[in-house]
Amino acid sequence: MGRRRRRQPDPADAARALPEAIAALSRTLPAAPSPEIFRRAKFDRPEAAPALWRLLFHVLSPLSADSASVSFTLEAQVRWVKSVLHSQGYPRLALVQLQDDGSQGGRELLLALAWLLARGPLPERLLTQSHVRLGDEMPVCECEALASPGPPAPRVEAEGSVDIRHLQWLMGKLQLRWRNLMAGQQEQCALLGKIHSYTRGCHSDRSLGHLSVTETELLRDPEGGRQLLQRLETENARLEAALEWRHRELVFWRWMDTVLDTCPLEASPPTFLPRIPEPGAGAAGLPVRELQALQEELQALQEELRKAVEARRAAWQAAVGGHGPEWRAARRALQVAVAQDLAALQWAWEQGKGQARPHGPRRLVRTEARVPGRLGLWATEATEALRAREACLEAMLHQLQGQCRQELARLVGVRPGLIWVPPPAR
Amino acid sequence: MSIVTVQLGQCGNQIGFEVFDALFNDSHCPGGLCSKRENEAYQASCKERFFSEEENGVPVARAVLVDMERKVISQTLSKAARSGRWKYGQHSCFCQKQGSGNNWAYGYSVHGPRHKESIMNLIQKEVEKCDSLSGFFIIMSMAGGTGSGLGAFVTQNLQDQYSSALKMNHIIWPYGTGEVIVQNYNSILTLSHLYRSSDALLVHENDAVHKICAKLMNIKQISFCDINQVLAHQLGSVFQPTYSREGSFHYRRNPLGDLMENLVPHPEFKMLGVRNIPQMSENSLAYSTFTWAGLLKHLRQMLISNAKMEEGIDWQVRPPLSGLPPLGKMSVNKETHFNTSIANLVILRGKDVHSADVGAFKDPALYTSWLEPVHAFNVWKTQRAFRKYEKSAALVSNSQSLVKPLDMIVGKAWNMFASRAYLHQYTKFGIEEEDFLDSFTLLEQVIASYCNL
Repeated sequence: MGRRRRRQPDPADAARALPEAIAALSRTLPAAPSPEIFRRAKFDRPEAAPALWRLLFHVLSPLSADSASVSFTLEAQVRWVKSVLHSQGYPRLALVQLQDDGSQGGRELLLALAWLLARGPLPERLLTQSHVRLGDEMPVCECEALASPGPPAPRVEAEGSVDIRHLQWLMGKLQLRWRNLMAGQQEQCALLGKIHSYTRGCHSDRSLGHLSVTETELLRDPEGGRQLLQRLETENARLEAALEWRHRELVFWRWMDTVLDTCPLEASPPTFLPRIPEPGAGAAGLPVRELQALQEELQALQEELRKAVEARRAAWQAAVGGHGPEWRAARRALQVAVAQDLAALQWAWEQGKGQARPHGPRRLVRTEARVPGRLGLWATEATEALRAREACLEAMLHQLQGQCRQELARLVGVRPGLIWVPPPAR
Repeated sequence: MSIVTVQLGQCGNQIGFEVFDALFNDSHCPGGLCSKRENEAYQASCKERFFSEEENGVPVARAVLVDMERKVISQTLSKAARSGRWKYGQHSCFCQKQGSGNNWAYGYSVHGPRHKESIMNLIQKEVEKCDSLSGFFIIMSMAGGTGSGLGAFVTQNLQDQYSSALKMNHIIWPYGTGEVIVQNYNSILTLSHLYRSSDALLVHENDAVHKICAKLMNIKQISFCDINQVLAHQLGSVFQPTYSREGSFHYRRNPLGDLMENLVPHPEFKMLGVRNIPQMSENSLAYSTFTWAGLLKHLRQMLISNAKMEEGIDWQVRPPLSGLPPLGKMSVNKETHFNTSIANLVILRGKDVHSADVGAFKDPALYTSWLEPVHAFNVWKTQRAFRKYEKSAALVSNSQSLVKPLDMIVGKAWNMFASRAYLHQYTKFGIEEEDFLDSFTLLEQVIASYCNL
């Protein structure tokens, strides 16, 4: 009985492992190029760059930009990818310095992709975003909308002065569009309610009980059913590819090490504040310029605050004056009161923290059951959470409006020759 | 989405009936130059907007009828019921026994508050019948007593109670040589109040429609019924269904919202006018053929020369050369002045509608300098023909065309006000001189804004 002799690793296996890993990655990501492009990118071949820019654009953009992405030129996509990566804290400056026409930098783009993959479960997150949903879903929180970077905005040329009537027109249009959107959403809700109550008892899953719009359409229109099947099959293929990728990714990371080795060293290591390159360095100069301005403003504000605090303290001490027993008692009472307030705040915050705020999209189910399913959430709870959030936001709005009013009042005082005509009271 | 119509006063109720009748008859017109499936979609869309269903299947107009006397409302109800094809709701009317003697202040300060709850309840019931509310369409005259004063009051209450719903007031501009001596007072009070609480004011001038009846329709003895039918035809050609997008065959769900978004987002510019082409008696229709090119050319010239019908158009008026401002600022005294638009909406219905070329309306010279044609101009289309017209085009525009009539009314009202004539009729019921002055200020501002385009 001897020890089993270790089999020599088959060199052919090793040679296959990397392309297979990259192929799996390419099958699971949206709009990914072929493994051959990845290989060429390592050697910085020019044909690799545009494909990888497009891949990064699709990976970073929210779902809604997918259909609109065809209308964006490569240059626009490049600029946008740079700004999003920068805002997410991507450390390598070489990427920012790549040309906007998207013709170079395959190796840097590979590194950027690897950085994104290393930060979190990227393929899984993308799959969740594009998941085919059979039910009628509604988000119960705004986290998704707030977290994703907006789609690229069209470039607007500001040619000097703008007629204020044009601005008023645009603002009015925006307000009307919001109102129309709300009316449309109310209509959708009313109609969903009708469909859910008309199809009661039609669903094979008892816990759901009724059909969703997609399911109803499936029954009405066979062609739609075929398209749905195709989408499900595509999603399935991507899921399988994602599993395979997880299985094989180690090989990919070893290969990325070799890619990193072939890159020239960065000029200086990143410090606490990312070192801001000269303003005007390509289109990324714009957000970078703003960062620099922000930094200066922050420092100035800190200085101002320090001076103000010192002045206040000095003035208070002068006003308070002596150290008599009355004064000491008053001071003690004040300290106690403040401690109580702080404790109350702390307690309130901890209470709020305990309640799990509902998150994510949920399927709408109209039911007469007493208890929601295991993972269910009553609509009333969701609306309560949303109302609390609304109250918070309204309070913030009032505060900001108050600040605006104060600012206006201050401005009125500054220019005595100016006549202010307020809008007509209702 | 549904539109709830509020018919106010004699004027509002008579016109309202003609409007619903025109809408219904058009949607049930056989043929319509399109497939059966398309026809059914058109009908369903029209029905959802303007009618609700009752048990026995007869469509009920989504309307609330209000008047201070019984006569007109009973006539309206019976006319609708007689047709057998559609009707008004039995409990959708509110009327009293006495009139208000063309007294705006009485309508606004007495009738309004006294009957506010009953009227608003009726409206609420109508709103609850809708799956979703697109907005309110309020039909009223500007110069009469009940319609105008009460209308202003009701619109204000709609603003308070349904602040997120859209409101369009359809206003009948009185004859220049009208019979009511205080019609100019009533007009300025109505307009100023509506400007504050309504989202859009769609204006029809009695003089203009009268001329259409005389010249185009060849009617000898023109009655109010004839005028109202022309009005209803024009409104129908605006509000009947159209495709939601270029290349789509689904009908637009929120016509009121889309119209307002395109034409009245600016709070200072709310006055809209309607033009329709061709407009003729049904007898002549059989002998006429039209091309889109011809119709659109006439419609464009009607717009820029401020003509209200396709006969007697002044072809000399031309848009100013690009780059140059229109000859001086607009003066209300100039006869033939180029009518600058802020925004336009063209609605095309009928055969080969997709081949119609609206490029001439995208000329920047037609519009004010601060809004480009891409923002200012929109076109809606449907293949389905409107009534018996193989091709028809309507134009809703926010332009300077109402400045002159408005200025005239304000001028006459001011002259009367300066001599304090008839003011006691208003102050007696709580409308003070202050209110008049506020109205004059607001309307002068509107005139100035439009003149400075």
